Amino acid sequence: MALVEIRKLTRQFRKGGEVITPLQEVSLAIERGEFVSLMGASGSGKSTLLNAVAGIDRPTSGEIVIEGVDITRLSRGALADWRAAHIGYIFQLHNLIPVLTAYENVELPLLLLPLSAAERHKRVEIALEAVHLRDRAHHYPRQLSGGQEQRVGIARAIVAHPTIIVADEPTGDLDADTAEQILGLVQRLNAELGMTLLLVTHDPRVAALAPRQLRLERGRLIEAGGGESRAGGDRHPRSV
Amino acid sequence: MPKFAPYVFKSLWRHRSRTLLTVSGSAVALFVFCFVGSVQRGLARLTKDQAALRTLVVFQENRFCPATSRLPEDYAQMIGQLPGVKQVVPIAVFTNNCRASLEVVVFHGLPPDQLRAVRQLTLRSGSWSDFDTRTDAAVVGQAVAQRRRIQVGDRFTIGDVTVSVVGIFRSAAPAEDSYIYTHLEFLQRARGKNSVGVVTQMDVHLHEGAHPDQVAAAIDARFRHGPVATTTRSKGVFQRDTLADLAELIGLAHWLACACVGFLLALVATTTVMAVQDRIQEHAVLQAIGLRPGRIFRLVLAESILQSLGGAVIGIGAGLALLAWGGLAVGAEGVTIAFRPSLDLALSGAMVAAAAGFLAGLVPGWQAARTEIVLALRQG
Repeated sequence: MALVEIRKLTRQFRKGGEVITPLQEVSLAIERGEFVSLMGASGSGKSTLLNAVAGIDRPTSGEIVIEGVDITRLSRGALADWRAAHIGYIFQLHNLIPVLTAYENVELPLLLLPLSAAERHKRVEIALEAVHLRDRAHHYPRQLSGGQEQRVGIARAIVAHPTIIVADEPTGDLDADTAEQILGLVQRLNAELGMTLLLVTHDPRVAALAPRQLRLERGRLIEAGGGESRAGGDRHPRSV
Repeated sequence: MPKFAPYVFKSLWRHRSRTLLTVSGSAVALFVFCFVGSVQRGLARLTKDQAALRTLVVFQENRFCPATSRLPEDYAQMIGQLPGVKQVVPIAVFTNNCRASLEVVVFHGLPPDQLRAVRQLTLRSGSWSDFDTRTDAAVVGQAVAQRRRIQVGDRFTIGDVTVSVVGIFRSAAPAEDSYIYTHLEFLQRARGKNSVGVVTQMDVHLHEGAHPDQVAAAIDARFRHGPVATTTRSKGVFQRDTLADLAELIGLAHWLACACVGFLLALVATTTVMAVQDRIQEHAVLQAIGLRPGRIFRLVLAESILQSLGGAVIGIGAGLALLAWGGLAVGAEGVTIAFRPSLDLALSGAMVAAAAGFLAGLVPGWQAARTEIVLALRQG
């Protein structure tokens, strides 16, 4: 059984009198340790799919089974607990807590887990080391560059050893050089640490870094390249 | 929750001007609350104390100001013969001001041999032997001494009365800390020759089992036909009647205390709502990381309660310090209400502040907890 199994996932929004369907019966399987990129134009539903997998948005119908748990059936509180234990979220705008230092930001997800202070300290040190920011541990976000902030965001995403890391346009707000460093780091998470990654981007060059590339068009998922096709639905875009 | 304490404190410190203004407002509100509470408790002590209900005060009929009540001193002997009466203490009262005032000075002249038996006074400085041997000696309540910077050895004059201070006392009854005790005869003579053999009131102490109302009626009946008719009431009722006008004002002050609580609630709620609105995205991030909505709610509540309690600590502390060291009292017609600090007052202030902080944080906390994560992240 795949680590992530998405079955006939549909998400609809109501905007005024109009019903918008960014995801239409999408099915997808992601194996443990896979690095999957998800491409698509603005409004194609890629972030909606990512947010559903991350458990911060609820689908209209369908199932998302991760490690045997259908997260669409979890209550709001239980879903929060599940996110704390299983999801590492890398935001486009890093979204660090401005009043906390880099160290405290990285430590945040660990405060929700039953860990001793010593264990938390050890894990934060390792995560900051992984993003080469140990020397900036006690700096506040305003004292860091955009790239450093995003690296802190990555450390925060990996520190709790999540089941899956989701990244929403992690380089969308960075200059080219910094973006390259960040993407190198993301690749290392998968290649060296074996972490399962789902990365959303609209940039084909970024998407190409992933061994498996998917494309969302008009609510349908298409296997665009890389590994074997395990995406459900049609291979070709179809209007919703 | 303690793990998130740094986040709560740092969030408050982030907008320190706003937090400090809120804390200051809370401090002012709690300061006023404490002050009003102290006045209310002072009045309650005077009127509801059990000892005050078992002691009778005999005053000249239809007289209210001590300056106008003139009872023959030999009434004491006659009252002492009535059934149920244990002891009668003739008292001359002189006050510099019969109207309501914060600067009232009240002299009580008692027979020196009775003073220590009927009043629970402890000398903080000076000696009782000096009081017994000097006719112009006065022992001064600590509140008056504090207010007027009076020390043992000082000599001062108020109106016609000049006394030598031989002791500063504290009393078990806070209102008495605002009195000055002298010899009865001295105070009578100080008021002029006409006042010799005349007292302002009699304090009548009753035997166990004696019914205060029946004894009071017997006293008034005994003197109904002169030479001076009397009105006898329990000390509590006497003090309540004497302070009736002030009591009405103090009743109004109760609403001032309520207004302070309302002000505190509105202030902390406004600040907390603003803080939550500023941090919609931050709360969404915290939820995305895995904080439960209930925890977000509690974090907001903690901020709200901390601001309210922070102000309370300052306001209550300042209020209690002023009450402790200011020696403040308000008096009318020779009866004073002492403003005294107490642990009970501090605790009730802290509880009011915590409750106001809790209530003020409910709606913003609920708003923060109900944040739609995706929507809030998009707004960033």
